[in-house]
Amino acid sequence: MSRSALITGITGQDGGYLAEHLVSLGYEVHGLIRGQNNPRAATVRRIVPELRLIEGDLHDQSSLIAVLEATHPDEVYNLGAISFVALSFKQAINTGEITGLGVTRMLDAIRVVNPAIRFYQASSSEMFGKVRETPQNELTPFHPRSPYGVAKVYGHHITVNYRESYGLFAVSGILFNHESPRRGLEFVTRKITDGAARIKLGLESELRLGNLDAQRDWGFAGDYVRAMHLMLQQDEPDDFVVATGETHSVRELLEFAFTQVGLRWQDHVVVDERFLRPADVAALVGDASKARRVLGWEPTVSFPELVAMMVESDLRAVSSSAASAAAS
Amino acid sequence: MACRAGTVGAVPEPKRRALVTGVTGQDGPYLSELLLGAGYEVHGLVMPGEVVPDEVPAEVRLREGSLTDAGSLQAALAATRPAEVYNLAAATSVAGSFDDPLGVAEVTGLGVLRLLEAIRHADPAIRLLQASSAEIFGGATTSPQDETTPLCPISPYGVAKAFAHQTVQVYRRSHGIFAATVILYNHESPRRGPGFVTRKVTIGAARIARGLESELRLGNLEVERDWGYAPDYVRAMHLALQQEVADDYVVATGRTHTLRELLEVAFSAAGLDWRAHVVSDPGLHRLGEPVRLCGDATRARARLGWAPTREFADVIREMVAADLDRLDQAAPSSGPAPGPAASPREQPRG
Repeated sequence: MSRSALITGITGQDGGYLAEHLVSLGYEVHGLIRGQNNPRAATVRRIVPELRLIEGDLHDQSSLIAVLEATHPDEVYNLGAISFVALSFKQAINTGEITGLGVTRMLDAIRVVNPAIRFYQASSSEMFGKVRETPQNELTPFHPRSPYGVAKVYGHHITVNYRESYGLFAVSGILFNHESPRRGLEFVTRKITDGAARIKLGLESELRLGNLDAQRDWGFAGDYVRAMHLMLQQDEPDDFVVATGETHSVRELLEFAFTQVGLRWQDHVVVDERFLRPADVAALVGDASKARRVLGWEPTVSFPELVAMMVESDLRAVSSSAASAAAS
Repeated sequence: MACRAGTVGAVPEPKRRALVTGVTGQDGPYLSELLLGAGYEVHGLVMPGEVVPDEVPAEVRLREGSLTDAGSLQAALAATRPAEVYNLAAATSVAGSFDDPLGVAEVTGLGVLRLLEAIRHADPAIRLLQASSAEIFGGATTSPQDETTPLCPISPYGVAKAFAHQTVQVYRRSHGIFAATVILYNHESPRRGPGFVTRKVTIGAARIARGLESELRLGNLEVERDWGYAPDYVRAMHLALQQEVADDYVVATGRTHTLRELLEVAFSAAGLDWRAHVVSDPGLHRLGEPVRLCGDATRARARLGWAPTREFADVIREMVAADLDRLDQAAPSSGPAPGPAASPREQPRG
């Protein structure tokens, strides 16, 4: 009998990659989807035709219990969150409810329905915030600097608490930034690769950004979902940092992306104060040596390869939509 | 040329107003007394239908509202227009938090976020005091803990308190709200709720002394806590809001005592030997119980000029005396034996 998994946040970047990965391993995969006629359902269905979507909401614990009873998962991957840091300042309470308390609702639903279900919590390097040591590992203290970071710290702590107090197989994967051609346009990487493609194709002339000196440890989402799965296949539940261990600045990202399309970023990029976050986090770089050692995990896509992949994809997408617009 | 008419006559300065959530708990009445004594107009937020205990001073103006209801918080701020808000409301039982992690998170965690959002929209000049708890350090590997110790909560209560604590820090830094926290270690008094171990012990000792019980069942006797005196701790809350800048302050005595020592002091205050009455029941050992928590209040001492006034043993003796007194008042006709300890009313208040 094939194993079964339930993924929350299925319409997000990681949901699609994880579903593809689990389907390729022979899993029956269910995706939790919120609301009627969710426009993003069609996209994820196209990426993973085998996926079964089921309605439920991290805001509503009884809906989670019903979903667990209906889908009988062996593994639950909680990727659902209000995941955009800037939005979390504007919707702090909603972020706390979904990104934070949503974790407790799912863990408690698992405890009620079947405590043998294994649980993966998508934690984030944003939890480290104002870091006092570099690189960060599983023992680095958290100093979150946004409502999103605070809610993710809550989710991490409560996951550890359910593991230690209730004996659930519950793990937290502390993932550093991970990008892909499917990244949402609100994230800086995709904003830049999409912007470079549009400027190249003459659809835009400038790109407005915030802090160009911000540094991040950017990996490829397809690599990171493999780590999620590996964490639930261990003998003992534990927490892992997943990262490349390299940092690059927004400036370097601009350099790679614009060079790829044969342009100089300095000719097109405007620094706009409005995009500066209220309290931007300093350099984040992850030490994934535990994941490498215990899980045998390692990244396969380098930073220049990642940027090239995203720019290529955006050039194709922008030119085909421009072509269809011209044809209509 | 614009000129204003000079003020004629002495206009009394308007009273500073404070809003206290959790006004019905142990600390709420002590804080209310302190604020009223300092000339504040004090408003207390109570849950709809909540029974208000006699300890809440009659001068406190009560209004209904709940930390789980953002609208009720906005309405309370609009109606009371406070200069200072003291957020003492929380689900306070650590053990109970394992039975209702979600309810605890909604009140103790998200409650402060709702309050901060309400403040941000009503009047960002309002100062907020958040009552944080040593439980945010539950699994700390270093002792004593101070404001820089990494958070390591080990109960749903501690996890929710950590959320609240870090949320206050984010609003301070990113929104410029004057929001301070006091990281309170255990603090006790005769008004402590009967669910807390200190009060369970002092009630137990009093009842055994009066022949109403014969034994007291407790969990792990080796747990160590830094126990202070509640009236001392509410002073730190008020002081934290009178500073130039908002910050976090550990409020603690810096000394720990075991549950065994607590028994020793409490039972001898009731004229008893605890060994003859106390049963350690492994069934009562609770989940997620920190083994030892000890706070370093150097920052509060240096910047707030705060210091505890009451020793551990004096606090416990006051509690036993109060419990003996309560029993004797409740059953005056049975001719109670005179207690060995003085009535708390004869003791100086801290």
